[in-house]
Amino acid sequence: MIMDNNIEQLKKSYTEVPIPEELDFIVKKAIRQSRMKRTNMRWIIGTAAAVIVFVSGVNSSPAFANAFSNIPVLGKIVEVITFREYNVDEDTYNANLKVPAVTNLENKTLEQMLNNKYLDENKKLYAEFQKDMDDLKKQGGGHLGIDTGYEVKTDNDQILSIGRYEVNTVGSSSTTMKYDTIDKKNQVLISLPSLFKDDAYIALISDNIKQQMLEQMKSDPDKTYWVKKDDKDTDPLDDFQSIQKDQSFYINKEGKLVISFDKYEVAPGYMGIVEFVIPTDKIASDLVSSEYIKS
Amino acid sequence: MASNKKKFENSLIQCITEHKESIYRLAYSYVRNKEDALDIVQDSIHKAFANAESLKNPDAIKSWFYRIVVNTSLDFLRKQKRVQVVDEETLEAYSKGTSDSYHDFDLERALEELPVKYRSVVVLRYFEDLKIEEVSEVLNENINTVKTRLYQALRVLRVKLNDKSTMEV
Repeated sequence: MIMDNNIEQLKKSYTEVPIPEELDFIVKKAIRQSRMKRTNMRWIIGTAAAVIVFVSGVNSSPAFANAFSNIPVLGKIVEVITFREYNVDEDTYNANLKVPAVTNLENKTLEQMLNNKYLDENKKLYAEFQKDMDDLKKQGGGHLGIDTGYEVKTDNDQILSIGRYEVNTVGSSSTTMKYDTIDKKNQVLISLPSLFKDDAYIALISDNIKQQMLEQMKSDPDKTYWVKKDDKDTDPLDDFQSIQKDQSFYINKEGKLVISFDKYEVAPGYMGIVEFVIPTDKIASDLVSSEYIKS
Repeated sequence: MASNKKKFENSLIQCITEHKESIYRLAYSYVRNKEDALDIVQDSIHKAFANAESLKNPDAIKSWFYRIVVNTSLDFLRKQKRVQVVDEETLEAYSKGTSDSYHDFDLERALEELPVKYRSVVVLRYFEDLKIEEVSEVLNENINTVKTRLYQALRVLRVKLNDKSTMEV
């Protein structure tokens, strides 16, 4: 029996679509990134233990001393500076890593903890980039890019919120964003759970985000979130249920809580990083105080 | 629990690695250009790892993963509103055709112009060689719906099948 000619022909042109050289690499990279994300927690605990060892190293680093020398001794303003950069610039391989450092915090332990974390993150990314680049070169070449840096989201009398971004480019790009929010008056790092009396905030915030997702999709058909549209929606991928206990967040200039999701976390890649400003009245009942989050 | 996770990861990695070219072609069949297809492959992998718990039956991991690829592609199309792009490589592939592999652009156009839900069944059933049951799993439709769509799609393509095994649609 001969399969129909037309279908055969269509199938032929389907299978003739050329497989790009980068495919193998992109697949491996995406697998590696996904697995890393799942083991992240273990990694953070490991880093905390390593901090002690690093403290003396950073203190005696000339670059660190130089970074300080540019800051007027008067003032003593807490600020974020670029502490170090790592660069690779070879036609198809580009890395541009900017390591931030927080300076002039009186709480030196906190300062060092943060700065070591930033340096470690970037060292690790740089080493990974080198390795990926070597792999690609062995395979006959390709494009590879990484970009990290930071933006100060809020800097007022009380709050300093720093966001660090990481953009990986391999054919397409993936972006992650991490935040640290510091109470400058009391010199402490603010975690999401520390803002609230108990765990009730998880549901309060999640419900509000679901509602915002649905409203946004309704008013703009170009937007997609992986959230259950209605009771008839049986797509198992529409499964946003809840934020993490320690979901990425920062406090914006208006004193509002902003929840952030990385690319792929709650929406397809084209949506990029998504943020939701949580109206203070939705979480007021669970807030410890109105010191940081304003209504 | 932990070993289940590990097991899932391993079978997912195996599934992705084994089918990566199919996944790419499947994505390509929707978006018709290399960069976007690669984007979809990448998105789908991230999505699969992040949604391990939505895989109810570990034996159906391939259908489950294909479903992620199809949904990611559809999301993408919804966003892009379908701009007809043929990239250079495709044109090149066409022009390289030898005498015994001529391309019938009308036929391809006809497939292209099928509404997505009909095209999906044709691609999965005939090009990816999935079983009807698997197609129904991937598309989250019941078997009869898949058969009906396949039949209608073929009729539109004016394809008369001689093959008995594929007649069972």
